[in-house]
Amino acid sequence: MQNVEHVIISCAGLGSRLGLNKPKCLVEIGGRALIDYQLDLLKDIPDIRIVVGFMEEELIEHVRSIHPNVTFIRNPDYRTTTNAYSLYLASAMLKEPFLIVDGDLLIDRQSFHDFVRHIDGSCSLIGITPSKTEEAVFVLLDDENRVTGFRRQPRTDYEWSGIAYLKDITIHREGKYVFSEIEPHLPVKAEVIKCFEIDTPEDMDVAIRGFKTLGY
Amino acid sequence: MNKKVAFCLDLDGTITREEILPLLARDLGLFEEMLALTEATIKGVIPFERSFKLRTMILNAIPLSRVQEIVSQVALSPLIVDFMQAHRENTFIVTGNLDVWLKSLVEKIGVRTFCSLADYKEDKLIGVREILNKGKAVEQLRAEGFEKIIAIGDGMGDVPMFEKSDYTIAYGGVHTPIKTLIELSNVVVFTEEALCRMLNTLL
Repeated sequence: MQNVEHVIISCAGLGSRLGLNKPKCLVEIGGRALIDYQLDLLKDIPDIRIVVGFMEEELIEHVRSIHPNVTFIRNPDYRTTTNAYSLYLASAMLKEPFLIVDGDLLIDRQSFHDFVRHIDGSCSLIGITPSKTEEAVFVLLDDENRVTGFRRQPRTDYEWSGIAYLKDITIHREGKYVFSEIEPHLPVKAEVIKCFEIDTPEDMDVAIRGFKTLGY
Repeated sequence: MNKKVAFCLDLDGTITREEILPLLARDLGLFEEMLALTEATIKGVIPFERSFKLRTMILNAIPLSRVQEIVSQVALSPLIVDFMQAHRENTFIVTGNLDVWLKSLVEKIGVRTFCSLADYKEDKLIGVREILNKGKAVEQLRAEGFEKIIAIGDGMGDVPMFEKSDYTIAYGGVHTPIKTLIELSNVVVFTEEALCRMLNTLL
């Protein structure tokens, strides 16, 4: 993965909709935690930054035992802040482009590698995924497969995945959502990534059913 | 560099791969005892000042020249020392350890050091004149015009330094940083490599 220097995984949130007493990235599917699969995909990136908040001690201990070289960025205000703020904390001093990944994703191995192969360092790249629920941020695409807009409704064929490679896109301290920070820079090239986001117990069921198709 | 940046690094267990005082105590056959006392101090079980005075009293049986010889051989973290030497004007050692003990080590690393001060006579330590409050070192640097002060440490003694700094990194390369310090930190890392990569992005 020589074309990506930095990756930020946001794992600070409470995951209240899932209702398990652990950070979502520690939820287990197929016998391993979500973060284990992600670290496996990202292991060749030199600078891995994980934003921690809710149950940070447990999360740090877990990750450290798998990948001691990870840098942990603390977001003690995780209860009252958004993912965008977590990404701001981790990216504020970075001058180079970086990959962002939501910590609550179970990502298909092959399609992630395809996504990374499409990163050429000269421009940003947004990961989109076939729409699965009504509660997503949907994307509008042009003929050249570039994202031209984000919207909550009506539904489109693809949704924002929570994965993107950002070049010259600053996440601001006051930024509310990650996609709204990307918005002023549209159109941006898109690539499809097969992944499951785990927000609710229903998402969890879907992910468990889809697990065997993900290449792990 | 936009702002004038200062990196304040704790010595024991950050720049060095081992704690210095237990190494010294080995000469007296008190390595384990000193290690236990040192670990209790890092964790904040015993206040640093009291523990430090006690430990120096135990160690004053060793001639200063012998102490310096041992200290100059202590194992260092090579990447951290490289970083410091590449940025001599912006890196500082901030340690509770005594000036007379550190002399040769500080010369070897070659950066400015804030430390505790000893009273001594010829080759013998008499007492501790002033124990460094690490927060004061940060205030001093700020008064000198450093605008962004970054602190790196692992133990209870680093708390005052973290409280006064702008950006803080708990470093667990040798010891797991104490919880109090983690709660005051922006970043937590566990390897020298991760620490130095971070420091380079803060320049």
